[in-house]
Amino acid sequence: MKKKEKKQNKALKVLGKTVGALAVAYAGLFTVFYLDLDGKLLYYVVEPFMQKRFDNMERRDPMSMPYDQIDSEYMKRK
Amino acid sequence: MKRFDLKKLKDLDAKKLAKDFWYGKPHGERRLGDLYIPKTGLYKHREWRGVKDTMYYFNNIWLYNYGHMVTDILKYSGGNPKGLVQFVKGTMRYRWMGQTYLTVMHWFDRCLEGMRDETLRATAWHFRGIVSACLYQIVEMFNRDITLGGDPEKWRKTIAHDETVWGGVFYGFPDVAHIPLQMIPYFVTCHCNNHTVLNYIDAAQALGLPGDPCPMCQAEAGIFLQDDVPDFFPALVTTNEACDGSVATSVIQDWMINKPLFAMPQPMQFDDDSVLENCAKEIEGAIKFTEEMTGVKFDWELLKKKLQDQNELQRNEWEKWDVAANTNSYPINGVGQALYRIFYSQYGDMDCWHETDAKVKKIMDKCVEQKINTFPMTRHRVIAWSCAPLYYSAWCTWAYNCWGLNTIINMDSLMFDMEIRTDSYENCLLDMAKYHEWAPMRRMAVGGLQHIFELWENMEKFNCDMVMMYDQIKCKGMQGVVGLFEDEFRARNIHAIWMPHALPDKRDVSRAEIRKIINDYMFTVMGEEPLDPSLLEFDDSNSW
Repeated sequence: MKKKEKKQNKALKVLGKTVGALAVAYAGLFTVFYLDLDGKLLYYVVEPFMQKRFDNMERRDPMSMPYDQIDSEYMKRK
Repeated sequence: MKRFDLKKLKDLDAKKLAKDFWYGKPHGERRLGDLYIPKTGLYKHREWRGVKDTMYYFNNIWLYNYGHMVTDILKYSGGNPKGLVQFVKGTMRYRWMGQTYLTVMHWFDRCLEGMRDETLRATAWHFRGIVSACLYQIVEMFNRDITLGGDPEKWRKTIAHDETVWGGVFYGFPDVAHIPLQMIPYFVTCHCNNHTVLNYIDAAQALGLPGDPCPMCQAEAGIFLQDDVPDFFPALVTTNEACDGSVATSVIQDWMINKPLFAMPQPMQFDDDSVLENCAKEIEGAIKFTEEMTGVKFDWELLKKKLQDQNELQRNEWEKWDVAANTNSYPINGVGQALYRIFYSQYGDMDCWHETDAKVKKIMDKCVEQKINTFPMTRHRVIAWSCAPLYYSAWCTWAYNCWGLNTIINMDSLMFDMEIRTDSYENCLLDMAKYHEWAPMRRMAVGGLQHIFELWENMEKFNCDMVMMYDQIKCKGMQGVVGLFEDEFRARNIHAIWMPHALPDKRDVSRAEIRKIINDYMFTVMGEEPLDPSLLEFDDSNSW
């Protein structure tokens, strides 16, 4: 009987902790939402990082392609 | 340092504060402009809309859509986690994706500012539909992109097309994906984050092209010049829609892509019945080309089925227009209405449109039954005409919040205004041709004077008392009719505000300039005072 009670108490504790953790996460997300922290992170951190990445990315120069390429040759390569 | 003012605290009305907390502030007291951080368009904090609507926005819009921006990737990848990997690769490779994708929720914010109750809910569903359709296209592109290790088998069964080629042309092909080349990289990104498109416009001009042609064509060409297009297709279909400027884009695309291309020209002056058969033959040619390139046989029954599904979307749209025209209970704001309509009628039938329509219809029916006035601060019912500024599609939301200008309908929503017959192959093809001729900017803007002047009948039909006349300063076609419109506005005694803009390029006419023009008209001509003076002037020059 005691064993069963212990098990029940343990389960309740785990449940309580899970609910508590979810509540904290929910409150945290609401704070992010309300204070527009997602926007601030994206604007001040993510976008400048991505911009730098794309500005410095090595790209093929499409202008170097001859204008009179033949489509069928492209298909053969595939 | 600011000293704490005890007197101010004593003056606070606790009852009013509690009411504002619970229900949100009434329209005239919101001061939405005070929420912005100067230049950025970011919020000091997001708007408090009362407990019910704030929690709805947080749970059912913000959390829900952020969540679905991940789950949709899996859904459209058929549950394969490799889809997520491809998605991340694409995000890190393409500027239009990497800089834009995560800013989507701020696009929602801008367009849904000040919205409450049913209007907030229904408009947000329209946006959710658009985002889902965008994710479908993005996932399909990246899963096929052979430069990112995509699936070559899927690559083979894909047709790319100009965004102005109606997706219905490809309805009859099972297992063939049709993906517009520019709809996501150009059109959608301008709305979510207009920073990226400027790179592409500059790339086209760096080539030596002059700065004054249509910036849409410049940007679409610039994406290719910057080598920023995924390789997801073996062949493509192009068109001269919306105008012949688009042909110049196709020439550059053809050069850069170097794959089999089917050009599907559509007539400008489409009233002549003799051109319809020609146009139908072009569509038939595109169908045959798709068969040859993908090796998949055209299925007439499938085409019929998809067109019937699309006709259902059109009937839903007519019901929405009926409510918008004849009641005060239409629950979608101007920008939500316009973007949803242009997206689904151009790209074509998808399940997500039907799901969205079902949800919106439920809300709309409730509004009509209970006679809910969905935009209670409406002072003027506005029809927006010609093509809109992509970098400031949220002007409708601003104009309602600031001045009570409620945009009921706009020109591009009215273009594909027809059902397509499926009783015989011949009739079907002719209707498909007509549908294609009635494309955005083609049907009214370059289809002939009688069509651009459909404004007058639509103004009456939708019970509008004011026109927001878009003036795309780089559109040579529309520049030619400015004087004719001015004469008509005077003769008909219609209040019309000319809104200059440069489609995707905010550097030519800024959003602040657009607002100033509207403000000036409302003060000086209409003699009205703003509902929310905090929105008259603010600096959002560097915002998304």
